[in-house]
Amino acid sequence: MNWRGKLKGAGQSPPRVGLEEIVWSWLGAFLGMGAVGLIHAWMLSGLGLSLLIGSFGASAVLIYGAPKSPLAQPRNLMGGHLLSALVGVAVCRLLPEQAPLAGALAVATAIAVMHLTRTLHPPGGATALIAVIGGDAVRGLGFVYALVPVGLGAAVMLLVALIFNNLPKGRRYPEFWY
Amino acid sequence: MPGPAAGNAPGLEVSDDDIYQAMREIKGYLDITPGDFKELYLKALEHAQRRMLGSRKAREVMSAKVVTVSLSTPLREVAEIMATQGVSGVPVLDGEGVVRGVISEKDFLGLMQEGRKSSFMSVVAGCLSASGCLVSQLLGKTACDIMSSPVRSVRPDDSVARIAEIFTARGINRAPVVDEQGRLLGIVTRSDLLRHQAGSGRA
Repeated sequence: MNWRGKLKGAGQSPPRVGLEEIVWSWLGAFLGMGAVGLIHAWMLSGLGLSLLIGSFGASAVLIYGAPKSPLAQPRNLMGGHLLSALVGVAVCRLLPEQAPLAGALAVATAIAVMHLTRTLHPPGGATALIAVIGGDAVRGLGFVYALVPVGLGAAVMLLVALIFNNLPKGRRYPEFWY
Repeated sequence: MPGPAAGNAPGLEVSDDDIYQAMREIKGYLDITPGDFKELYLKALEHAQRRMLGSRKAREVMSAKVVTVSLSTPLREVAEIMATQGVSGVPVLDGEGVVRGVISEKDFLGLMQEGRKSSFMSVVAGCLSASGCLVSQLLGKTACDIMSSPVRSVRPDDSVARIAEIFTARGINRAPVVDEQGRLLGIVTRSDLLRHQAGSGRA
């Protein structure tokens, strides 16, 4: 197939999920993000540490909205975030004054590392990027960034998913652990 | 032996719409397009078929009841046996039950029109022309005079896939299944292979 032919797209969009599924996805995401948000508020006032980062919103789409997806499994959720955070911090230290290049390098390398380790989790790309563009608050954390907020936040979301996604009859989580 | 008709496995005929409907029936968001699923399904089916062919052995598809003749059976009797049993080929055994050759319709035709490439229709044409039939050539001869030898035989543990290769490479339709001493255990024919290629066992 040539380039133009490929551009047309030969596939079909998957069907829309049922209303029940939409309600459970909404509820799961609300509880998961709510839990992270509450701990964030408590930690911020007590320890001055932040727990909320943007990439958790993306993780919520996967683990509460598409819990069957291989991308949403615990191995991917935890592995993808942790490895991407390490990659992001390392790149940020390597190229401290070159944000555009560092951002590109961090995200691209995070994808490569996640592929290599079978932990592909799209929000990991955001986690790596935030390490570079997150400002002084994130830079000040150094490699601790991989543990708090990234590791701890992902763990809280995972815990909510493990409890909540197994309550409805038609849902189960995880498909596999590692 | 009324075996099921050989044909395409019905499972191959999955339409895009079937897949779309199936995806709707499964609760939850499936992270795959119907097209990708179909590709996956067809490839998996291919692997399954190859596995079935590779693992099925001659002993499982062969007929153990074989019509045979001996080296000294007169050709008249060989022809009668083949006609009454409705087979187009028979193994020729010696006194110990060892396969020494195979006689098929082709061997008869070859003798009836020596020196020419024989088929049933060429014999008919010969009979209708001035030269006449040469059936008399067959009189007084025995199985060992016209049998094809040596025989391409197979072992009970040969895979169906391997036997299909042999049939195609040699242009043959049947192969005797023999033990280590060359004694006859059964026979595998093209129709045995077809029946098992279609994914169904013996009826």
